[in-house]
Amino acid sequence: MQELKLQFLKELAAAKTAEALEAVRVKYMGKKGIITNFTKTKDLKTLSSEAKQAFYREYNDLKSFAADQLKKVVPAPGGAAAAAKKGGAIDLTAPGAGRRLGALHPITLTQIELEHIFEGMGFSVYYGPEVESEYFCFEALNIPSDHPARDMQDTFWLKNNLILRTHTSANQVRTILKAGAPLRAIFPGRCFRYEAIDPSHENTFYQCEGLVIDKNISVANLIAVMKTILGEVFRREVKVRLRPGFFPFVEPGFELDLNCLICGGKGCPTCGDGWIELIPCGLVHPEVLRHGGIDPNEYSGFAFGIGLTRLAMMKYGIRDIRYLNGGDLRVNEQFSTIL
Amino acid sequence: MFISLDWISDFVDLSDLAPEVIADRLTMSTAEVEGVTILNRLTADKVVGEIVSAETVSEKEGKKLTLCKVDLGGGRVLQTVCGAPNVRVGLKAAFAPVGAKVRAKTGGAESSDIEIEIAVGEVAGKISEGILCSAFEMGMSSWHEILFEFPADTPVGTKVSDLVPERDVLIEIDNKSLTHRPDLWGHYGFAREFSAIFHRPLAPLPRHDVSRYDGLPEFPIEIADDNCPCYSGIVVGIKAGSVNIPSPVKMQRRLHALDHRTYNLLIDLTNYVSLEIGQPTHAFDADTIGRIRVAPMGKEGTFVTLDGQERKMIAEDMMICDGDKPVAIAGIMGGLETEVTPQTTRMMLESANFKSARIRKSAGRLDLRTDASQRYEKSQPPANVKTATERILQLIADSGTPFEIESRFSVKGNLDDENREIVLPPGRLNALAGIEFPKETVLSILHSIQFGAEYLDDGTLRVEVPPFRSRKDISIPVDIVEEVMRLYGFDNIPPVMPQMSLAPLRTDERIKLQHRAQVYMSVSAGFMEVHNYGWFDDNFLAKIGYDPGQTLVLKNPPTAFNSRLRTTLMPNLLALVPKNRPFKDDFRVFEAGKVYLPKGDPLDPAPVKDSAEKCDEISTFAGISYVAAGKTPEEHYLEIRGILSDLGRIFSFDSSSFTVTPGAGSPTPWQTEGLWVEVRQGDTLIGTMGLAGRELMTTLLTEKDKGHLVWFEYAFQKIKGAMFPILRFKEPPKFPSSWQDFSIVWDTERGYQQLAAKLDEFKHPLLRGRSFLTVYKGKGLDKGTGSYSFRFVIGSDDHTLSGEELEEFHRAFLDFLKSNGMSLRG
Repeated sequence: MQELKLQFLKELAAAKTAEALEAVRVKYMGKKGIITNFTKTKDLKTLSSEAKQAFYREYNDLKSFAADQLKKVVPAPGGAAAAAKKGGAIDLTAPGAGRRLGALHPITLTQIELEHIFEGMGFSVYYGPEVESEYFCFEALNIPSDHPARDMQDTFWLKNNLILRTHTSANQVRTILKAGAPLRAIFPGRCFRYEAIDPSHENTFYQCEGLVIDKNISVANLIAVMKTILGEVFRREVKVRLRPGFFPFVEPGFELDLNCLICGGKGCPTCGDGWIELIPCGLVHPEVLRHGGIDPNEYSGFAFGIGLTRLAMMKYGIRDIRYLNGGDLRVNEQFSTIL
Repeated sequence: MFISLDWISDFVDLSDLAPEVIADRLTMSTAEVEGVTILNRLTADKVVGEIVSAETVSEKEGKKLTLCKVDLGGGRVLQTVCGAPNVRVGLKAAFAPVGAKVRAKTGGAESSDIEIEIAVGEVAGKISEGILCSAFEMGMSSWHEILFEFPADTPVGTKVSDLVPERDVLIEIDNKSLTHRPDLWGHYGFAREFSAIFHRPLAPLPRHDVSRYDGLPEFPIEIADDNCPCYSGIVVGIKAGSVNIPSPVKMQRRLHALDHRTYNLLIDLTNYVSLEIGQPTHAFDADTIGRIRVAPMGKEGTFVTLDGQERKMIAEDMMICDGDKPVAIAGIMGGLETEVTPQTTRMMLESANFKSARIRKSAGRLDLRTDASQRYEKSQPPANVKTATERILQLIADSGTPFEIESRFSVKGNLDDENREIVLPPGRLNALAGIEFPKETVLSILHSIQFGAEYLDDGTLRVEVPPFRSRKDISIPVDIVEEVMRLYGFDNIPPVMPQMSLAPLRTDERIKLQHRAQVYMSVSAGFMEVHNYGWFDDNFLAKIGYDPGQTLVLKNPPTAFNSRLRTTLMPNLLALVPKNRPFKDDFRVFEAGKVYLPKGDPLDPAPVKDSAEKCDEISTFAGISYVAAGKTPEEHYLEIRGILSDLGRIFSFDSSSFTVTPGAGSPTPWQTEGLWVEVRQGDTLIGTMGLAGRELMTTLLTEKDKGHLVWFEYAFQKIKGAMFPILRFKEPPKFPSSWQDFSIVWDTERGYQQLAAKLDEFKHPLLRGRSFLTVYKGKGLDKGTGSYSFRFVIGSDDHTLSGEELEEFHRAFLDFLKSNGMSLRG
């Protein structure tokens, strides 16, 4: 056995390449290796039990000695995976365990991103109440008592005659009263409309209202700010167009359309005619400024409403709005991210 | 709303423009176009024929078949069997001979329109050599019940396409974008827009001047309702039946193009003028009424409208009355009794203005939204009252129907038909637009929409607004800014970034803290954020046996089971457990949302200016963690409790700032005695957390005892916090410190927090800190007690501790335990 050991060490020392080392390993310690099968070459029946024991002790020592020597010079053959196959070795490629990442709601992700963009442009962020008075939701916004928005058709009414706000614009006059002019602010939040739910309609959804009030604010300013913001949101230069739109709390009022980012404005199933109606906006109506205690002859401003829910759906490719409030965790878990 | 370019062509020539160009420019300057439809009528292969004989060939189940001989001119007479109810000798109708194409329905449940070629047919044993056509068959509209009637003076043999051109273009406008533009509820309003947009002349609207009748007697009118700013009437004498004739084809083809059925000249006229200028009118049989009084209904009652329906009226509904007797619902629909009939020889033509709110309310309640009510709801300008009357008289005259006016044009109220002035201070227009408009551009735009406009020497812009533009639409200087800018093209205004001061932002720190909490829960603690609805689900509340007590209540809930606004986030979160359990055996969910607590009586309808007077809206943070197997409920609970303790760092950078005390009783289904705690920050109760009891788990999940659930709900708003650390640095010890571990036996019922409070009382100059290691319960300990292990860190600021000092500390602590009746684990 001593001879065998010396022979093994000699060959091991001579082997200079990985292949040669592997050959040595196979020759001595492989399945049909000399050391592995050494006992089969000896007739042990003739030995006394003491001698047998001594033989096996010596043999086991030899085997572990050879294995140790091999381990020192032979890199785990074939890498960790092969080692793992033999059991014992650690599979470093197995998935991590222990920690887990949760998920933020897609609306939260979009909202935090919007807040981040607007803060970078010097806007403050405010939230307002979801249960509102008619005054802040309608009257202060120049929406007359005979306006369709004030019908039961569109608005959730409470028995105490409060309402669930139908738009984040309800926070305009609240914010003006609180912060005064000049003002640059957004107010993202939850809104409610009394309507039937289907893949593209929800009674509970999110908007992000924006308001800028200062001396000499103009339509040209509104266009510049909107274009910049959309460029930030979509992280590319965007083309927009402005056309007339009517909202009682702005004058003039516009619809801001985004040139379709999918087809580049040629027209496709997503946009139809190349334009996506995205942001209703306009110059703040003088009546709204007055309700906020601001002199419309001294200050002007613009306001805009971003459909936060719609934006989130566009960003993440969610086609059915009902997933957002559905509480199916197979949906929510997809928004695992670190902010 | 649809606009027919055929109709527009009466006033503006757009014949050289592609429909898409027209639609696009309209969208960019006036109102959103939803689509362009090309109407391809099948009128080229048909001629006008006169029915010269009509013989009934069969009649069963109310359906009559008539064999007609039709004179097609030039001596050509063909025969056809026709089932239309208005077949009669002398009728002039379109004849489609064999080989002509007509529109037909495929029939069946999903019937669609197809074109078929007429072949020789045999009906009721008689040969048909073609067919007489309805408007539908000629591709003019969907009306197929009766033959389309031509006026009696139409020459037989006339090609139908000479009277009804094959092509018309319909532009569909989004009604929402017309909300503030009552002038655009008629074609003439759009003609004005086209004239301005494309810089083309606008033909005046032909009108029959009524001032020539000023010498005739007044028709008695009284207005006794503030919702009627103006009412007019004029009595028109006609030969019996003379308005019961087909309208001129030009009128009919346009009404059909907009899918209005045509009846006879009189009815068609009121529809036509309504579609032309947006002003509804109504014709009464003048022999059935003597004097008009516009007044509220005054009491509940019924009224039969001209469609034969009995309507339930309330006191506030505005009625047109003959004396005291209601004869029409103002602005919505006329009455059956005073309707004009073929025998009528005198009609009283009503043209009036009603306030939008009243009309909206009545029409909405009656569920009777008519063309008239729809237009009144947009606040038509009173000036249209006279225009409509004059236009109708003009169209009667144009039709060749003789008439005689019996009364003067009698008006009560204010026609408001003078120009009104709006003055813009110098520079105002340019400042709001953000562009320097040349003065001539501004003037030419305003003139193009028939506004008077001039610049005064000091740069003031003086504008005269014509009366056909509603006061609701144009009343203040910014309205003028809008008119100029939209026609100049908003898109032609170069963007300019506003210049702002660098004053620091006033930011709501609570929002930042909330985001931190959301990010912490998801990123660090593995919770998934969900959004639940703001109301309870009564069915689920009943299932778990929860009564929320007083809540705000919706008058018009999304469903009958969702009328109560949530006062806690827990039930809607708990409802997610059975919903998601089939897919997951381990999940953590949280929601950051509002709960709405009523202030005062939630049914008190008294209006308030600020909702805060009646509702406490609390930002709340709640969550659940469900595990089916793999850890004990206690391990699970302590894990979540650890996560929430760290939440304290987000607010005050001190994880020990939240303390807990056992909650009393089982106030809700998720709070089971002994399984929940109250969480406080200082003395303020900020929330609760606990383990769901067995009963709740059995209710939520059908498989009994499967898994366990930890829940928490924090009133986020009550937590005090700061955005940035308020920590103080402590120098690390210069000399090595040592530690000693102690396992103290303590009553588990009294709990860790009381033990910790007790240990806080131990003071020693060498004590540098204490940390909790673990708690052991079970073998070797009495029931109800646990062994709480702590590590005490011992050190000195000026030397390395000696063995004696360490022993002295050990003794001192044992003395402390002894004097407090506590002992170390044996």
